[in-house]
Amino acid sequence: MNNTPIMKIEGLGISFGGLKAVDDVSFDVDRNQVKTVIGPNGAGKSTLFNLISGALRPRSGRVLIDGAVLNGKSAGQIKAHGLSRSFQITNLFFDLTVRENLRLAAQYLEPARHAWLPIKRSARAASKVDELLSRFILTVKADELAGSLSHGEQRRLEIAVCLASEPKVLLLDEPTQGMSHGDTEDTKELIRGLTDSVTVLLIEHDVGLVMDISDSIVVMHQGKKLAEGTPASVRQNADVQAAYFGSV
Amino acid sequence: MRDEQSRSIRVSHAFLLLFCACALVAAAIGAVSGNSFYLRLATEALILAGLALSVDLLLGYTGALSLGQALYFGVGAYVSALVLLQTASFWLAMSAAGAASLLSAFIGGLIANRVRAVYFTLITLGLSQVIGKVVYNTRELGASDGIIGIPVIDIGIGGWSVSAADPTGFFLVVLVFIVILYGALAYLLETPFGRVLIALRSNEKRVPFLGYSVWRARMIAYVLAGVVAGLSGALYPMLRGFVSPELMSFSMSSNAVVAVLLGGAGTLVGALYGSVLLVVIKSIIGSWTEHHLIVIGALFIWSILFFPRGLMGMIIPYFLKRPSEEQSTVQVPSNVSLSGEAK
Repeated sequence: MNNTPIMKIEGLGISFGGLKAVDDVSFDVDRNQVKTVIGPNGAGKSTLFNLISGALRPRSGRVLIDGAVLNGKSAGQIKAHGLSRSFQITNLFFDLTVRENLRLAAQYLEPARHAWLPIKRSARAASKVDELLSRFILTVKADELAGSLSHGEQRRLEIAVCLASEPKVLLLDEPTQGMSHGDTEDTKELIRGLTDSVTVLLIEHDVGLVMDISDSIVVMHQGKKLAEGTPASVRQNADVQAAYFGSV
Repeated sequence: MRDEQSRSIRVSHAFLLLFCACALVAAAIGAVSGNSFYLRLATEALILAGLALSVDLLLGYTGALSLGQALYFGVGAYVSALVLLQTASFWLAMSAAGAASLLSAFIGGLIANRVRAVYFTLITLGLSQVIGKVVYNTRELGASDGIIGIPVIDIGIGGWSVSAADPTGFFLVVLVFIVILYGALAYLLETPFGRVLIALRSNEKRVPFLGYSVWRARMIAYVLAGVVAGLSGALYPMLRGFVSPELMSFSMSSNAVVAVLLGGAGTLVGALYGSVLLVVIKSIIGSWTEHHLIVIGALFIWSILFFPRGLMGMIIPYFLKRPSEEQSTVQVPSNVSLSGEAK
């Protein structure tokens, strides 16, 4: 078993005007774990995700997956290093079917030459789609348009789409945002169950959810890393209590 | 389980068969009655359909509106004309036109694909205007008169030989050719690459995070569309015996866009029906009044307002049953009430 961290964040930073949205943030993410970034609104969590996933270019610092530097690479190249991300605001192909949303993402698994052959030749993608449909309880919805799903179903589909390319690291940006309590509980189970195949880096507002499913937590405040550790140790941390839990 | 896009394409194929059947009947009537005027007009409609297919690949599937697609149509037509003046070879003319439109669409694509949406549209328009004016002012290309006196050719296909002067024979050659272009695009849309194009139309911002290059996909779509337009244009001088800068004009480009919207963008076969519809409407109304463009403009506005999905865009969904079928049936009454209010 490989015990080196799968992902390293080293001194990542970016400013918008005078505002240091993310300021010198460093942490490691261990293999097959759920690591969570929490923090109050405006703490820089989503900006951090955008820096890691290539949606924004960092002013300083590096992101590495298994030793490969991701900085300055396009979203497509970052994908090739095994990183897949979801979006805080559901970002799907709303006028395509659930199946097609997954198929498009799973197509990534096929060799390049299959891009020009009929899609029925892409057997691996097809079986991946079926696997994800049943795992994410979307089989009965497979031929409906993604835009016609309920909010909770769309959030599930969003995670499934990210998994379809079999990434090493999965970035989930508030996956339970706007979900009902029941859906949130289901999603929690789902995320916990993902760690047999991927490493999950999560952004979450829901403190209860975070404490339950995280192996490790990073607390951000005003762009800086405030604390890092196990859920229990973070809960005990006085700075964290003042900055975050105190205000809840 | 076959997905919705595959089923939609299959319905499109069925309407292609219907289209071909009607075309064969028209050809038979034309051949028996010896009415070459209408057969020539029908052939021109088919050639326009090739240009419309090119526009539909970009607009209906990739979601990029080109207002300058006639540029590549014109490149194909001029190159074909120049080749035919030297040597009366159908296949040489087609190959040269294909190569020239591929090269020019590659260069045009490098420029136009730097931007997207409305800026893309404006650049395609600008490119076609610039090249159109250059051709218009180039004496070697016949300037504003174009190139006339292109010899009638014999088209050798296998053991057969068809003269371009034979209205029925050439109509059938063009029909076969347009069906091949249609088939090639239909094949493309059933490949993973084709599906990435549809994904671009649906939500371009999501595509890079699936690991696919947006630029590459848009570039390939643009070049393929250019080649489809160029090959269609190459048939024009064989039909009419001349080419003129008009073939690259805005009105040519916009005719193709109108044909696609009338027939139904993103339905593939709609491009063929739309082109025929447009040519028929133009010639019928043109025989009533010389101000036919006013009527056609008004008709176009009316059809966009009340039938935004176009002919095939309305028909094909009736053949696709989806679990959430209620949604598409809900839209129908709302359209009806809209038109009621307008009256």
